[in-house]
Amino acid sequence: MKPAPFRYQRTTTVDETVAALAGGRARVLAGGQSLVAELCARTTSAEVLVDIAGVTELDHVAVDADVVRIGALRRIAALEDDAELAAALPALVECAGRIAHPAVRNRGTIGGNVAHADPASGVPPVLLAHDGEVVLTGPGGARVVGADAFFTGLRTTACGPDELLTELRFRRPGPRGGAAFHEVSRRARGWGLAGACAVVELDEGGRIAELRIGLLGLAPTAVRAERAEGAAVGRAPEPEAIAALAADAVADLDDIPGDVHASPALRRSLGRVAVRRALAEAVRRAEGS
Amino acid sequence: MDTDFAVVELTVNGIGHRVGVEPRRLLVDVLREDLGLTGTNVGCGQGVCGSCTVLVDGASARSCLMLAVQAHGADVVTVEGMATAAGVHPVQQAFLDAQAQQCGFCTPGFLATTVELLDRNAKPSEAEIRAALAGNTCRCTGYQHIVDAVVRASEAAS
Amino acid sequence: MTTTTGPTTGHSTAWVGADLPRKEDPALVRGSIAYVDDLRLPGLLHAAVLRSPHAHARIVAIDTTAAKALPGVHAVLTGPESLEVIGPLARFCAEEVVEHAIAVEKVRYFGEAVAVVAAESRYIAEDALALITVEYAPLPVVADAEAGMAEGAALVHENLGSNVVYQHAFTFGDVDAEFAAADRVVRRELRWPRATAAPLETNGAVVRFDAASGRMDVWSNTNLLNFGAWVMSATLGVAPHMLNFHPLSVGGSFGSKHFLAKQIGIAGALAKVTGRPVKFMEDRADNLLASDAQAPDRAHVAELALDADGTFRSLRIKVVDDYGAYFLLAIAGNTNPLSQIVGPYRIGSVTYDVTAVLTNKNQQGVLRGAGSDVTNWVLERLVDAAADELGVDPVELRQRNLIPPDAFPYKIPTGNFYDSGDYPAVLARALELADLDRWRAEQERARAEGRYIGIGVACAQQRSTYYASEFWFHNIGAPAPFTTTAESVRMRIGPTGGITATLFAPFWGNSQETVTAQLIAAELGVDPAEVAIDLAPTMHGLPSAGPGGSRMTVMLSGAVAGASKKLKDKIFEIAAHQLEASLDDLELRDGVVSVQGTDASMSLADIGMAAYWQKASLPDGMESGLEASFTYDPPFFTLPNADRTDLGAFYPIVGHGCHVVVVEVDPETGQVEFLKYVAVHDHGTVVNPRSLEGQVRGGIAQGIGVALYERVAYDAEGRNLTASYDEYLLPGAPDVPRVEVAFLQTPSPWTAHGVKGGGEGGRMIAPPAVTRAVEDALAPFGARIDELPIAMETIVGLCAPP
Repeated sequence: MKPAPFRYQRTTTVDETVAALAGGRARVLAGGQSLVAELCARTTSAEVLVDIAGVTELDHVAVDADVVRIGALRRIAALEDDAELAAALPALVECAGRIAHPAVRNRGTIGGNVAHADPASGVPPVLLAHDGEVVLTGPGGARVVGADAFFTGLRTTACGPDELLTELRFRRPGPRGGAAFHEVSRRARGWGLAGACAVVELDEGGRIAELRIGLLGLAPTAVRAERAEGAAVGRAPEPEAIAALAADAVADLDDIPGDVHASPALRRSLGRVAVRRALAEAVRRAEGS
Repeated sequence: MDTDFAVVELTVNGIGHRVGVEPRRLLVDVLREDLGLTGTNVGCGQGVCGSCTVLVDGASARSCLMLAVQAHGADVVTVEGMATAAGVHPVQQAFLDAQAQQCGFCTPGFLATTVELLDRNAKPSEAEIRAALAGNTCRCTGYQHIVDAVVRASEAAS
Repeated sequence: MTTTTGPTTGHSTAWVGADLPRKEDPALVRGSIAYVDDLRLPGLLHAAVLRSPHAHARIVAIDTTAAKALPGVHAVLTGPESLEVIGPLARFCAEEVVEHAIAVEKVRYFGEAVAVVAAESRYIAEDALALITVEYAPLPVVADAEAGMAEGAALVHENLGSNVVYQHAFTFGDVDAEFAAADRVVRRELRWPRATAAPLETNGAVVRFDAASGRMDVWSNTNLLNFGAWVMSATLGVAPHMLNFHPLSVGGSFGSKHFLAKQIGIAGALAKVTGRPVKFMEDRADNLLASDAQAPDRAHVAELALDADGTFRSLRIKVVDDYGAYFLLAIAGNTNPLSQIVGPYRIGSVTYDVTAVLTNKNQQGVLRGAGSDVTNWVLERLVDAAADELGVDPVELRQRNLIPPDAFPYKIPTGNFYDSGDYPAVLARALELADLDRWRAEQERARAEGRYIGIGVACAQQRSTYYASEFWFHNIGAPAPFTTTAESVRMRIGPTGGITATLFAPFWGNSQETVTAQLIAAELGVDPAEVAIDLAPTMHGLPSAGPGGSRMTVMLSGAVAGASKKLKDKIFEIAAHQLEASLDDLELRDGVVSVQGTDASMSLADIGMAAYWQKASLPDGMESGLEASFTYDPPFFTLPNADRTDLGAFYPIVGHGCHVVVVEVDPETGQVEFLKYVAVHDHGTVVNPRSLEGQVRGGIAQGIGVALYERVAYDAEGRNLTASYDEYLLPGAPDVPRVEVAFLQTPSPWTAHGVKGGGEGGRMIAPPAVTRAVEDALAPFGARIDELPIAMETIVGLCAPP
């Protein structure tokens, strides 16, 4: 399980990286936890790898009042250990702690995770549920793509071959908001078969003012549960309502993956459970805050 | 400019090295073949089993998922670097005392993960230990003696 | 064994039963141990294998031109090309199921080797694979046993005329009459999944062929060595006495590394062709696709005949086993269970009707439990089913039927014996440790809260120390080709008293070095620290079947006892001569031979010096030196009769265990959490308790694996869907509970020190206990679990609100 030959380049700035990506021959190497595995299995190939580990300007976290901006090169382990981030985006930190294992989290980056867009990854649904944005930098400069428009197909995103994902932005839950992440794996830890991130905003009467749900494992990409989100507005977040919304969240899914671990039917069932648990916890946090 | 050959400078177990490699060469192969440090093992080549885990700049890493070029400038510690002339590392001693190994193939990876765990969390609960070790597969022991070893090591350190 | 006359031996420490820290461990924690992939030989080349993307296809053409031309490539061989240097693989079946290391003419499973490359590095070898083009003509896929048996099915081996390669109903006693007379018959259809060993270290071989002398050296993590390396002679095209296998440290096997003729054949063929030493190291995909280490894949119709009061009378098991594309071990995995088919119960007659079917999958090998793990599960499922149907407590039903402790040695209907045991005591101890009443109360409390806790109890056998006849007695009427599975030890006491023991079997992760040192310490009255252990290559080898089948500790006990006796005879003779004492007055204790009641003594160092250098002071006619070897044959072996209605004693060293498992099941997700796990095992005299506990716990983890997670999955086109550790799921640390292990020791009457083997027991007893615990948890939903692994989908579907 050894990679085929490729050429290699290190960059230290975003501009240098964008220049190296020109012409579409090169691929970005960040943490390598997905890319190197695929290169070893020879399920993917590369002519040139551009190693951006030295592009330190991409390794940042900025927690503002409404938005959290995270540089693409931020390692997953750094997110896990970030107390300020845990307070601002608890669902993201929960999700980060569930990613693979310590050695993978030490090297894997959040930008790499989102750019790879594995349908079983938890970060894309967290991004979707937090009304996220992806900053892509290319030869024409930086552009911002809403998370809803970013994940276009199976392991396919709006990021062009000559663009670098440089930053992720998450809208913080509001003063009466709460967010939570829950996934169901086959074993205690490991890839989620189905999962959800729920971000809920309550109004002054304690009813749901806004709900956003991102789903993993239930489609070729991370998706929103729009029907449930619509049905939630104005409802009191009682257990029966939460259960009904969870059922709504998975009812319309028509392209659920099936594999040796779980059939589409099982994933739908597990997805419903994950949504219910994530939403219940998000509500608890919203009510507590 | 891109290249098809790179010179990697790295420190391994306290000794500096300069190695010429193809960019595709994996860190685990440089360690095992170029540097003769065969203690680190390859169980799956996909980053799943954890047998290849070493410490890179103090943090655990899957050496089968790292290109050697990514270790340029890094300080790597493998199982061979854990003992000193004075004796084995306290974590190794705990593994000996708890009889935490059978075939030993996964052991170096568990040692690296354990050193990092106890660095970050000096007094982990059994549940925390098992969660932290979840990325290291053992097919022989059923994990209990390994968990015992980690508990021993954390108690010995206090 | 005590003697009332003659010299005595002792040590102030009882080494048998001591938790001696393992002698193997310091090298393991330092990483200084050498596995096959760690070997460096000058000029070593690396092999890679091109594998078939089809489960069943003719190989029409292979073009290796571009691959051969790649810089760094030394050789590329197709199957037909390999036949110029290596032959077909040896097999243990009588049927004409021919297999080659590299496929010839057609491929019969997804991932079968179609070409191999030797190159300067594994990287280049894999580059070369990508340059090989193969034209296939796909054939209809025989996807499973049912498909294999169907009318008009494609043939996996055309020369056989059928995919049903073996069928026989082994019947012992008057089963039909017993079933007719019984008050009740409990019937279940039970499905056991295809699992695989998947040890962390894959299979590998380094082969060096010296054309000048014709000698071939093999470094491989195989167990063949002194048991059957000669079997490889025909494959490798090297005379048996010119073959030298070097024993290695092995990163786990669980039965999967017994042979490796194919892997060795690939490296051997390339070594011959290139004139260089060649290493073939499987990567994980090679291993999960094609290592010939898949395990029983069985569909059963099982029936237990019993009386209204719960007394078991008779047992019928009809099984169809999917063997995959080849038949290396014939039906050994189905004859193994005949050693303990009635479990720990008094059941007077049994039929075991086995149909072996060839299909387009990688073939079965042998996996920890060797097929008896499966029948343990089947029998315990029937017992639990009987309890449910009769409305009685499953523990009481077992207690009613257990073979009582005064019945041993106990002959079971198949002809095998159980040497010793106290099954009621084991069960009682397990229940006591588990605090069953507390958990039953907890279960009720939980149910009221809508939580589902379940309790499973399993009582099952763990035969140990396999004998030879299980490999051939399925050939009805055929004579015995081999009738021993011996194990040897060579011991030498040096001129300064230090002891060297040479073993002839590889280290698999079991504790053979430690156990040997403890046994020698006990036999010679020395300290284990005075014992050095080494392994010898086969050119210096003595008979040795190696690890597997839970045999090493038993066999080493016998071999060490035999070699020690020879040494002690000489030691005492020298001492008696030099100290002018009678043998009856001599005692060897703590490394010193003394004359009782006097100060006269000689240390082993004194005796060693005399033996090696002081011929003049030795008894007349005594040879110099102080070395002895002993080949220990399995004790108490008897041959089967001609029609196989009595299989003889072929596995009479039988351990036993009881597991009590408490789980909580999440009905919404199907996840299972362990709340309590107790395992009481009886493996006779235990030499190193901590080490054996480790084997039990490790086996239990594997049993949990097959109960909940593990299945080799092939799709309808015969593609292997579980060729990585991401798909073939092994339990991780959070998935395996803390297991309380206790040992009861009913010594075997037939082995040295009364030892029995215990390496497989954990895996052989856990699955039924775990299955029942989950089933019990979901009893409110009417759960009945007849198939493993217990799928999340099964639980979720069962518990889903209407």
